[in-house]
Amino acid sequence: MNPIEGLGAFPLPDSLPSEQTRGMKVKRISDVIWDIPQEGPMLVPGRVFASDALIESVLKDRATDQVANVAQLRGIVEASYAMPDIHWGYGFPIGGVAATTVEDGVVSPGGVGFDICCGVRLLASRFTEADFNARRDMIMAELDRRIPRGIGKGGLAPAGLIMDVLHRGAAAALANGYGWEGDLERCEEQGMSTGAAPSVVSDKAVTRGKAQIGSLGAGNHFLEVQVVDEIHDSAAAEAFGLAPGMVVVMIHCGSRGLGHQTCTDQLRLMGDAMHRYGITVPDRQLACVPVRSQEGEQYLGAMAAASNFAWANRHILAHEARRAFASAFGTTPRTTGMDLVYDVAHNLAKIETHEVGGRPTSLCVHRKGATRAFGPGHPDLPPDLRLVGQPVLVPGSMGTASWVLRGEVNNRVFASAAHGAGRVMSRKKAKGKQSGGEVRLQLEDAGISVRPGSVGLLSEEAPYAYKDVDAVVDVCDRAGLAAKVARLRPVGVVKG
Amino acid sequence: MPYTVLSHTADTGIEAMADTFPDLLCDLATGMFGLMGSPEPCASDDLIEIGVESASHEDLVVDVLSDLLYHSEVEDLFLCWFEIQATGPTSIQITARGVANGGVELTGPPIKAVTYHDLAVRQTDEGWYGRVYFDV
Repeated sequence: MNPIEGLGAFPLPDSLPSEQTRGMKVKRISDVIWDIPQEGPMLVPGRVFASDALIESVLKDRATDQVANVAQLRGIVEASYAMPDIHWGYGFPIGGVAATTVEDGVVSPGGVGFDICCGVRLLASRFTEADFNARRDMIMAELDRRIPRGIGKGGLAPAGLIMDVLHRGAAAALANGYGWEGDLERCEEQGMSTGAAPSVVSDKAVTRGKAQIGSLGAGNHFLEVQVVDEIHDSAAAEAFGLAPGMVVVMIHCGSRGLGHQTCTDQLRLMGDAMHRYGITVPDRQLACVPVRSQEGEQYLGAMAAASNFAWANRHILAHEARRAFASAFGTTPRTTGMDLVYDVAHNLAKIETHEVGGRPTSLCVHRKGATRAFGPGHPDLPPDLRLVGQPVLVPGSMGTASWVLRGEVNNRVFASAAHGAGRVMSRKKAKGKQSGGEVRLQLEDAGISVRPGSVGLLSEEAPYAYKDVDAVVDVCDRAGLAAKVARLRPVGVVKG
Repeated sequence: MPYTVLSHTADTGIEAMADTFPDLLCDLATGMFGLMGSPEPCASDDLIEIGVESASHEDLVVDVLSDLLYHSEVEDLFLCWFEIQATGPTSIQITARGVANGGVELTGPPIKAVTYHDLAVRQTDEGWYGRVYFDV
């Protein structure tokens, strides 16, 4: 089999455990666009954004099978899309974008994932790299001490805040002393998802959430201190509040156990319900129901409430980071200048209006490991960002660069862009390559201070386990998904 | 190890083979927590007991493992010993023992949830086979 027309053969490895791998063919459309032709039960074609180098890794796992599976969802329009950081997930590929019509399409929790509203938040500061270096150990020690992470219980905020958090997200955190005015304007959805229905979030989920409000978690979640290394768009960088040499803080985390439980609960309900609607799916993780159904509305309400937990979670962690810097510099959080650049989700389904066939259409846009990327002029952006477009935050792997991009008007993927570097190596293989201690030493040698929750886990998140984030961002830029604004270089990492 | 770790780009999975369905569940539960750590010895008086009934064997695997993750988190216990008995065709009773989460050195990332992706549970001539992937 030759999976790439015009590129030579890339046979799938024999070691894949799949019983379902089909080895999809991809066809070159341009230097950064590949199509998976519509065939069999697919309702639309698949479309993958990747360079020649990136498409090779895409075809080495089952990600393109999953793109084709998503193309079977009822009511899907245009294509089943995959961002340049695409890799094998569960149900949807990570990096998958699918829009279904609200009128007669479905909503699938698999298009959101268990970590509902997982996302990234970026804080600016008034500090330079020299300032950071002068107090590096103190800053890292403060962050290490203050940021709850790892498994189980432990959050910065009291359990009693839970229902307020589910109702109004980051606004609940702000009202309780976390953050300051102006923060909410710099959050996607102002940090509060509309349509939240805390009453349909299960007692189990609420119990899990109570003890974790303001906690990082583990795995690929992190808090990173970075330096603005390159500016590619001065006007946008200025609008975002970024300047060359500035120290910034990036936080990646989501809705913790509350979100995981909510997805588990809703998948169970949806699996039972979809048969009543005569829906079949090629992977049970793609269980779905009509958007306009009792079960669909219930899922969207529960998902919105769980996403409010995630907005508040990142908000509280960010404010604790401000306190950590303030403590290390002997000042107040306000005088750190650690204003919010932006907060974006990359695991959500949202009702948005986009043009389909030349007509504005109400769509349920699933972004599973993909970032919303509104271009300049979009009415949902705050006035100070409307001229340049929405900040799009693309974290790299631990030890490599991260990027700030901006949304583009001509984005044809329902205003979506990549969400990270994207894994290229399994955890098992990554772990076998180097020990966590060796990875830590290499990072420290490269000038990156590391404060891990567990040293043993560092190897699974080592840079070699991920794609080259610069290459991923380059494809975003060339494909018109989002434009480069600033490159960020890590100097300190707090890992879960 | 009574289970095999399956390769996956972003997440992780396990498969196991056992003589009986309760034994298979036991192996998969051991495997799920074994992916995160292996406290030795698993000496504790902290027990949890739960009953689960589901529509099918596949559902039971997901429901049981999901419930164990829930109890592990809210009771702050890293579960490391399991006894599972069938109480009906697709219902079981579990007794699990665990040690405090805080005392366990993690050797793998915490598991967020149990997925239905590529889920397989079937009775074969050799016994019961199960395969399950986790979101980590």
